[in-house]
Amino acid sequence: MTIHYYTNWFSSIEKFADRSIRPVYWVANIPSRIGEWVDLSSTDRSVIEKENLRLKQESLIHRGQLQRMAELAAENLRLRLLLNATELLTDSILVTEVIGVSPSPKSHTLTIDRGLQDGVYVGQPILDAEGLMGQITSVFENHSVALLITDITHAIPVQVLRNGMRSIAEGTSDYNNMQLRFLSPTADIREGDELVSSGLGGRFPPGYPVGSILSVEKNSGEKFIEVNVRPAAEIDRSKYLLLVFTSQDGSRNGSSQ
Amino acid sequence: MTSMRYSLTVIFSLMLALVLQLIPVSADWLSWKPNFLLLIVIGWVIFQPNQWGIGFAASVGFLADLVFRSPLGLHVFLFVFISAVPYLLSGWLLYFNFIHRCVFVFILIIFSELLRNFMYSVWGVPVDYGEAPLGAISSAVMWPVIDKFLVKVHKRRH
Repeated sequence: MTIHYYTNWFSSIEKFADRSIRPVYWVANIPSRIGEWVDLSSTDRSVIEKENLRLKQESLIHRGQLQRMAELAAENLRLRLLLNATELLTDSILVTEVIGVSPSPKSHTLTIDRGLQDGVYVGQPILDAEGLMGQITSVFENHSVALLITDITHAIPVQVLRNGMRSIAEGTSDYNNMQLRFLSPTADIREGDELVSSGLGGRFPPGYPVGSILSVEKNSGEKFIEVNVRPAAEIDRSKYLLLVFTSQDGSRNGSSQ
Repeated sequence: MTSMRYSLTVIFSLMLALVLQLIPVSADWLSWKPNFLLLIVIGWVIFQPNQWGIGFAASVGFLADLVFRSPLGLHVFLFVFISAVPYLLSGWLLYFNFIHRCVFVFILIIFSELLRNFMYSVWGVPVDYGEAPLGAISSAVMWPVIDKFLVKVHKRRH
């Protein structure tokens, strides 16, 4: 057990099991699919029409904001060129559906319905509508396994949006909590501060929301403060996720879905 | 009941338990999720200790390790350890009535959750021992269904 926990020696056995497990996950998802179907069937036509109208309005607002973003991105690029800084990488995305969740409360992994056929690769970031969720750890022909940012073995480089202070957010095996480690008591960090990915390490693209500071506890006599972070993503609830392809991946040049 | 039909019943019960265990629930309810797979293993060991013993528990534990992506051996250890209790007490269990079995299974599941948490704490994973009874309560609530099913199968077999 300990050997397996700390090493990858049994990865071939795990991969073999993961290949054959997809039908089991498909069956396990039937109740939630039936629930969705019942929800949809029992919803009034007028409610659906109202929701459709709301979504159209939301889409219009987002498109307006996107135009503003495009303008800002172009301006940012011009300024970076003036500073001789490297060009920012552009990301494209692919929508994916969660088909399985680890039943163990201590192991935070997801199985998604995209695999090698869709160009998914190990280390690829995934996010939901609210923020970063995790990264891909195993890829199979038509499904993949992702490790969530709240898993105890996961760590992600972040920075505070307010002042750019860098740190590393680690999972704690709690879906609603992460921790920033080794921050000195003089660190400029407050409750409510937003954290985004810093892009350091090259694994996660910079600028995606990771979470917000839930509490900062300074214990006298301790060398470091205890900082708890609430993840921005709805880690245990999101059904549809986005796979991020940065332009340096090469496998998926600028295509999006 | 023919032995072929009997074996299919065992396999079907295990598959159903596995699927039920994999049904996604939100984090708030995760601690309340019954341990279906362990319940069915305990059930078969209680009702057929001569046929489904420690080896059976170890095999299902290995399957659980692969499916749940837990450290290989964790469920093998848990299932073997927990199943060994009804296996060794099989002579006594003949005198247990339905209520006794419910209480017995509740205690076994609590013990299993505590043991699992202990194993994780050894690897440095933060654990909350206070959550152990939650899964045991929901498992004990589910037990009557499994008990009735196994009694029915047992009666048909003999």
